[in-house]
Amino acid sequence: MPSNLAIRLRQNVGLATAIVLFCIVYLLYHLSHPKGFSSAVLVQNGDEVFTLAMVAMAQTVPVLAAGLDLSVGALMTMVGCFASYLLSGAADGTPLSIDLAGTQIPLGTLPGGALGIGLGALICIAIGTLAGLLNGLIVVYGRIQPIIATLATGAIYIGVALFLRPQPGGKIDDDLNWAMTNSLGDFASTVHIFDDGAAPWFAPFAWIPTPFVLLALIAIVVWIPFRRSVVGRTVYAIGSAEGAAYMSGLDINRAKIVAFTLAGFFAACGGLFLAIQTSSGNADLPQAGTYTLNSIAAVVIGGTSLLGGTGGAIGSIFGALILRVISFFFRVFDIAPLLQPLFEGIILLAAVSVGALRMLRVKNTLELFR
Amino acid sequence: MKKLGLVSGLAIAGLLMSSAAVFAGPKVVSGPGANPECFKPWSDQTKYFQWPKKAGPYKIALVNGFVGNTWRIQMVKTAKAFAEQPGIKENIKEFKVVSTGTDVAAQLGAMEDFINQGYDAIVTIAVAPDGFDRIIRLADKNNVVVVPFDNILDTDKVMMVNEDQKEMGRMSAKFLLKEMGKTSGDILEVRGLPGNSVDRDRHLGFREVMEAPPNKFNITEVVGNWDTGTSQKVTADALAVHGHFDGIFSQGGDDGTVQALIDAHHPFVPFAGEGENEFRKQIAEHWKEGLKGMSYGQSPALVAISMKAAISALQGNVMPQMISIPIPVADYTNLKPGENYWPDLKANFFAPNQFLPCGVTFTAPEIMAQSEKNTQ
Repeated sequence: MPSNLAIRLRQNVGLATAIVLFCIVYLLYHLSHPKGFSSAVLVQNGDEVFTLAMVAMAQTVPVLAAGLDLSVGALMTMVGCFASYLLSGAADGTPLSIDLAGTQIPLGTLPGGALGIGLGALICIAIGTLAGLLNGLIVVYGRIQPIIATLATGAIYIGVALFLRPQPGGKIDDDLNWAMTNSLGDFASTVHIFDDGAAPWFAPFAWIPTPFVLLALIAIVVWIPFRRSVVGRTVYAIGSAEGAAYMSGLDINRAKIVAFTLAGFFAACGGLFLAIQTSSGNADLPQAGTYTLNSIAAVVIGGTSLLGGTGGAIGSIFGALILRVISFFFRVFDIAPLLQPLFEGIILLAAVSVGALRMLRVKNTLELFR
Repeated sequence: MKKLGLVSGLAIAGLLMSSAAVFAGPKVVSGPGANPECFKPWSDQTKYFQWPKKAGPYKIALVNGFVGNTWRIQMVKTAKAFAEQPGIKENIKEFKVVSTGTDVAAQLGAMEDFINQGYDAIVTIAVAPDGFDRIIRLADKNNVVVVPFDNILDTDKVMMVNEDQKEMGRMSAKFLLKEMGKTSGDILEVRGLPGNSVDRDRHLGFREVMEAPPNKFNITEVVGNWDTGTSQKVTADALAVHGHFDGIFSQGGDDGTVQALIDAHHPFVPFAGEGENEFRKQIAEHWKEGLKGMSYGQSPALVAISMKAAISALQGNVMPQMISIPIPVADYTNLKPGENYWPDLKANFFAPNQFLPCGVTFTAPEIMAQSEKNTQ
């Protein structure tokens, strides 16, 4: 009888592989970096990885239910464009209006200052979550394959983004940008908590990058409870064997809708952060496509099967980390610039293959759960 | 969600009580700047920067965005070759090139990584005209010189290098007006990659002249993405629908547009386009039949001038905030084989590559002939 730990490890072999792989490559990166293991490098890495990690988490949920969401990048872009209007933090409030064919339709005024920024952020997250809900409703009640439905809605979201930001621009509060994209110490000193970050008990935590804290928080507060809930387990069941899940009396429709809605929420968090990080909104079509593709890659590297049913969002975070660290290498090692994409591809292929080895051997995906 | 709201609420509490941090960075000084033949200020209003002098040699990074078209490859090769040139080589301790793709977070990350690594200067083609505030803040804090070129930023806080894109549009329009000799007719405008500042500015400059009274042109706009295949297709479509054009302005992929004219048996007309060697070959071959062409060029050698500007700034010289590079132009009257176009070379590349006032002495074929190994 194998021990409890051994079973858990075997069930999460994809995640374990991703973590081990990440630790190796990341250690190598820090060892070769002139300022390795410093807070500044960690902060930079955190900023770079956060949005991709969120979009990868977003992709994970529909993939677990054996669907693909091709709209995550577009959704993220759209939320970013909204954020570039809603997070300006102007002291006397932000008047909002829509310009429809030359007619200005006023939408009221967002209050100024911290309250306005908080409200703006919530609106952005709500918009993304609603867009995810729309995806879910179309998939479930429109009975359209997720891949086609989200291809279409993705085009709609990019359309909205282009409508909002025909040219890149907008304004995000400077201090918000600085607080969110630095270490906890800078965060505390910018928002004036914990004696401007000088409180003695706070010192041991001051070096931790804010984006990593946010990432951990979202994973713990949102993902883990979801995974343990009935709806979450139903999502896994759909991916394993939809027919069996249905016959077991699970509410399949609800689980699918929730899966896409949660994807919308995660992607919205990513879009919000990207807007804060860049202090602007940009309806960048190629970039949206890049994020969607990379999210799928991160999901696979993180040990989630594209057929659904096994894996999880934590793995995808590590998948996104690995994906990013590969390109970090080009900055510390001397690799011919025009050969870099080739290297990236080879390492990616290797990373995916390591995770997929076990999948190749099993006759039935259920075996992965033994 | 509620918890997240709480967290963001906490995050935001007190943000308004802004902390006015003190940043280093360049001093704004009065001109003139160093080496004005090479580093020409954009206009009379251009301000001048001066960074604290640093001892060389320097560590310089080139952070490219998208890679994968001829122009970018030629640019990377030019950068590598320029870093090896005498006069430049002694000033460079380390030169690293990365391409981050179209992802702004990756480009920001790469730039910040190089700042962390203690690089002295970062030369970059920005993937978006906005969003680099944090990098500029960090660079100023660490006295790193950031030099965007080609696709530049909508800011005046960094030193930038470019050719005047609006002027390219204007000079193309003036050329067409001169060659057509009339103030009305049908014009085809083949635009570049949508949403890009270069595309926008060339278009605006072109329209500014073409639409000024008394001109009454009917301008048909198609999107060619600066790509030969795309341009050929959209031009063929436009010819099928409109039948005849009196003049053509294209932003790139011009050899495709000319090919579409030939395929449709459309008579050759005055044509203002980019600096591709293929296009110049076509002009040289067909100008007597009416392909009266002008070829302006956004030169990939902008990267070399940007590197030189970065080194000059690090040496403590006074530099213009916005450096204007003269637009290299050739037209059917002054094309010379082996000088500004190369009739025997098949591979497509961008012909203008020399800027003698800046010491950029190698020609385009010399650059493109180098294999990737040689430029490592």
